Amino acid sequence: MPKYEVRADTANCTGCLRCQLACSDLYTKAFNPAAARIRVDVNGVNCTISFTEECTQCGTCADHCFYDALHKKPRENNT
Amino acid sequence: MTTETGGFAGSILYVDLSSGEIQKKPLEKDLARKFVGGLGLCLKLAYDIIVPGTHPLSPQNPIVLGAGPLVGTNLPSCSRVFAVTKLPTSSAIGWCGAGGVNFGYLFKNAGYDHVVITGKADRPVYLKIANDRVEICDAAALWGRDIEEADQFLRESAKSPAGVITIGQAGENRVAFSMAFLDKMATLGRGGFGAVMGAKNLKAIVVSGNQGIRVADRKRYKTLSKPLFKQIREYRYLKEWQELGLVKSFPLVPAETYKYIKKRRIACVSCPIGCKDIVEIQDGALQGLKTGSSSAMNLFTPITYGFSDYREAVKCIATLDRFGLDMFEFFGVMRFARRLCDNGIIAKDRPGTEIVIDSLASMEAWAEKISLRQGLGDILADGFNSMIEEFGDKAREQAPSIIKGIHPYAGPGSALPWDLFGTMELGQLMDPRGPHVGSGGSPTYFARRPLEVFPRHLRRMGVPEEAIQRILPGTDNPEQPEDLKVGSLLKYSHGWFSTLGSMGICARGQINRFYNASLCAELYEAVTGIDTGRADLRRRVDRVWTLYKMANVREGAGPENEAIPDQWIGAAGFKNYVTGKPLTRVDIESMVEDYYAEWGWDRKTGVPTAQVLQKLGLVDI
Repeated sequence: MPKYEVRADTANCTGCLRCQLACSDLYTKAFNPAAARIRVDVNGVNCTISFTEECTQCGTCADHCFYDALHKKPRENNT
Repeated sequence: MTTETGGFAGSILYVDLSSGEIQKKPLEKDLARKFVGGLGLCLKLAYDIIVPGTHPLSPQNPIVLGAGPLVGTNLPSCSRVFAVTKLPTSSAIGWCGAGGVNFGYLFKNAGYDHVVITGKADRPVYLKIANDRVEICDAAALWGRDIEEADQFLRESAKSPAGVITIGQAGENRVAFSMAFLDKMATLGRGGFGAVMGAKNLKAIVVSGNQGIRVADRKRYKTLSKPLFKQIREYRYLKEWQELGLVKSFPLVPAETYKYIKKRRIACVSCPIGCKDIVEIQDGALQGLKTGSSSAMNLFTPITYGFSDYREAVKCIATLDRFGLDMFEFFGVMRFARRLCDNGIIAKDRPGTEIVIDSLASMEAWAEKISLRQGLGDILADGFNSMIEEFGDKAREQAPSIIKGIHPYAGPGSALPWDLFGTMELGQLMDPRGPHVGSGGSPTYFARRPLEVFPRHLRRMGVPEEAIQRILPGTDNPEQPEDLKVGSLLKYSHGWFSTLGSMGICARGQINRFYNASLCAELYEAVTGIDTGRADLRRRVDRVWTLYKMANVREGAGPENEAIPDQWIGAAGFKNYVTGKPLTRVDIESMVEDYYAEWGWDRKTGVPTAQVLQKLGLVDI
């Protein structure tokens, strides 16, 4: 069971990709947004944030967000 | 490059548009060490291949584009992209810098630090870079399309996250004040960078990549970056900056108006501040208009030229952006043309469309006439010097302040009527490329700051203690200065700008405030693995700016290129930053001498001396 639940608030996202940079650095030891387990796509006013199947909801992406676009919440049954 | 080196992607791409030849060559580690990266390496690569006297719009003029070693990491606001070429307006070898948005990290992730583009294609083309696959593609379907349309087409055809640099019709038609737009949001080029691309038949550069950027010393990188992130998170104005962006600094409209139309803030990759905006007009005749900009402040700029309706101001800039025009130069040229009409120097019936500076319809019509070179627009498209040449001495008497063929954007009679003379204002004269938007991180960017705060700021920029005493003379206590030597300070402002630009860090005041010279040296060493102390880095960036100067000395640039505009002098001119008294010509000349002296350059000619070149390891130039 993942430790956290990561929630996205796309209205606040700026497309800075700090989440993808942090995720890829953690899991691949390189800054490579293409290898991240979170995917942010900002296209003009539209924004989608999704997670790949490999995502473990570790919360690193939320830790690195400066814009309150990602929040991590501990799962209640994870005690 | 060796595998233990980080930060750098490790390769330079060479593209000859005339022959179609494409080559990938390794970036030599020693060259990277010597010129830092980014801006510094762009200048070095350009210096090595530009033949003195080359015409800016000839096939022989190269475009050297690149991003520094910190670009692609998650360090705050490290996404800057630079280009160096010979610019048509000033004929100077000059830099153009842009917030990298997505282009910077994708270019690095494709495996390149720089691309050198030479020659001229025999038809409209665009350059497509996708990791190792590099193609010169036909752009017949794109030629004649505006920035928005071209960007969208190229982005959709890339089928993966892409960075796009493109020109509009203004660049295609070699307008002297055309720019290239990077991811639609950032710009390369006061001075006519767009025209250089257009002259090469190069509509765009599209890049995608997924190779990743590694850092040499991960442990040290984390030790250095963690406190930096914490400091930014705890910055008391962070939320305000994120909410208002540059409208906080330049409130051309009330904050409520800005919030009313703001749809999304956009940040360059890795930036925690975010200064770019997407807005949508919510009411009136322009309701539903959506547009983006490198900052909302730009969208409101026509208000400074008399526009009374902010919605029309936004529409006007959206139109200029679509054509790929420099808004400051466009309005400067239009005001000059209007004055020539009013004084009968341009015949009344010649314009065809009346020039009304505060009219959206008129300005949009003229943006089109200039971009497509129709009628009088064909003459205006070549900028101030060509207008003076066309309309003669009487026109010269009516001209606004012009430096190196460009109208300064800040100062008396300029778009931003700031009257205090700090490093940015003097820099409009002393930067070889001519006036541009950018402070170089100097404290004089903000008006009337008390001198007591300067020593701390200067130490952060890496100014040596003995120089601080020269810059801030007055008392025995260096913490309580009484005067400010703007010319001496400008040397270090140029050095600090070179540091940030060569590493890839954004120079905006809201960001560079979190960096300091020691931290930069440590980060550079941790990321690249190249031994770098603070003094080493200072020497290297001094080498970068001096090479920049020498590149233009080699082109024949001298003190005559730094003539002080008459409009800057006297009661209506610039004021002393500290005392507020009007500046005399002698005052400014004295600052110019201080600047040369601080560099150790010849005080009269401004040419770097043999001794300085020797000290900086530039004896071979």
